[in-house]
Parts: sequence; C-alpha cells; structure tokens
Amino acid sequence: MWGKLISGGDINIMEQKRDDIALTRRRFLKMAGTTCVSLLITESLLSFPSSAAEEKIKKNEIAEGENINETLKRLFGNRKIEMSHVDLKAPIIAENGAVVPITVISDLPMDKDNYVKKIYIFVEGNLKPHIATIDLAPANGKAEFAMRIKMRKSSNIRAVLETSSGKLYNDIKPVKVTIGGCGGL
Amino acid sequence: MQEGIGEVKIRIPKSISKGEIIKVQALIKHPMETGLREDKKTGEKIPAHYIHDVSIYYGDTMITRCDWTIAISTNPLITFYLKADRSAPLKIIWKDNKGGVYQETVQINPQ
Repeated sequence: MWGKLISGGDINIMEQKRDDIALTRRRFLKMAGTTCVSLLITESLLSFPSSAAEEKIKKNEIAEGENINETLKRLFGNRKIEMSHVDLKAPIIAENGAVVPITVISDLPMDKDNYVKKIYIFVEGNLKPHIATIDLAPANGKAEFAMRIKMRKSSNIRAVLETSSGKLYNDIKPVKVTIGGCGGL
Repeated sequence: MQEGIGEVKIRIPKSISKGEIIKVQALIKHPMETGLREDKKTGEKIPAHYIHDVSIYYGDTMITRCDWTIAISTNPLITFYLKADRSAPLKIIWKDNKGGVYQETVQINPQ
C-alpha cells in the first residue's frame, strides 16, 4: 500500500535525508565524546589542589580535636558520656557555613523530677568549640530544640545532653562545609 | 548597621488544646557580627555584635534559656516546644553584647 503511494523519486529523497541524519548523529556523538574527555581532564586537574587542601584540614582537625576534648573535660570532668538517647540532625553537606540548621531531639522524659536540663552544642572545627548552651525545663514538655549555627570549616558537630539526675548523653554528626561561615578565617 | 534590627516574629499554632505540647518558632533580625569579619572597603575589623542570651518565660517561670556565642547564624531562628497547660503570656527576651534588649510577648490561650 505504501509502495503505491510513494513514487520512486520520493524514496531517493528520503534515503538522502536518512543519510544526512546519520551523518549529523555521527558528528554529534564525536563532539560529545571529545567534550566528555576534555571535561574529565579538566576535572582531574582541578581535583589535585582540593585534595591537598583537604589533607591540610584533616591535620588541623586533629590539633583542634584535642581542644574539644579539653573543653569536654573542663565541662564534665571524667564523667561518662553515653552515646544514646540523643538524635542530632544536621545536613551532610552545608553549602554555606554561615547558616547550618541543626535540631537536637531526645526521647528522654520531661517529667517534674526527671528531665533534660541542658543541651550543649559543640562545633569541633570552630576556634571556640563550645558554641551554645540551652537550659530546658519540664514545662517544655518535649526535649527538642532547633537553631541555625555558623561553621568555620568541615568538622563534627556534637550535642551533649545533661539530665536533672546528672547523666550525660551525646550524638556526633560530621558536616562538610563548602564555604566557611565566620568571615576572614 | 542592618535595618530593622530587633524585629521579631513568633509563630505558634492557631488553635491550642489544653495540655498540648506546641511548637514555637521565634525569629529575630540581628546581624550576629562575629568580630572576625573585615570591612572590604576600609580593611578594618567589624566589631562583634551578637546576641548572647535568650530567655523564654511562660507566665512568670523561665522555661528555656540560651547561652550563645558568636557562632550563631545571622537573624537567629529558634524552635522549641511548650506544654500549653494554662493561659499565660509567653515572653521572649533577647540580649546582645552591645546592651541591646529586644522582647516580644504572645498570649497562649489553650481551649
């Protein structure tokens, strides 16, 4: 049926068109291939300095990691800090270190004689790791608090909870910061 | 100086039933200057100007208090919870290191 409708001349034109399409497709694939390769090369070139910078950060973190331990020792002495009952919510990657939203949630009760008394927030990579203390009361009804903090560089955030009976619980989350948030440092 | 410094917005649920644990959000306009930043034009350090104390009262009792340093973001936003067991004002007071005191009160009326 189609053979009847399409005359010989038309078929020739169609074949030519198909050839054109095939050619452009080949050309396109070639171009795409070369751009991909060039992109790969530039990316690999760019990645060298950044990995060196990351190593530098790691070395600093170790030095300042001692600071956080000193801070913890100063605040809590040799008291045991358990790794439970606290959920610290923070982004895995913070694009802007000046605004890092965090939420501290605990399943601990908020009863009259047994409640979460204090929440301590630490950013291990900041010059002063202990950045905030929040006092709570049974009237809060729920041990949950959220705020936005500044981070100088990629590091761990730590939330320590102190109950009215003097028990300590904590949670630690690593956060990667792309742009530091303290200005000039 | 940032304009509108000390402007406050507090958000509570529209209807509250008695004894319900409600979510409260409070936002204040504040530069939260760290003292580490430099003025790009003059090259001089911008002096620190930040909120170091937030006190939250439900009626006459203090229910939550924040002790802050420079590492809190500009225009601080806090989210906390409150057990709405009586009709009382909820008062939030922010204090900064330059002596600025900002406060706002909302009425909590559980049904």
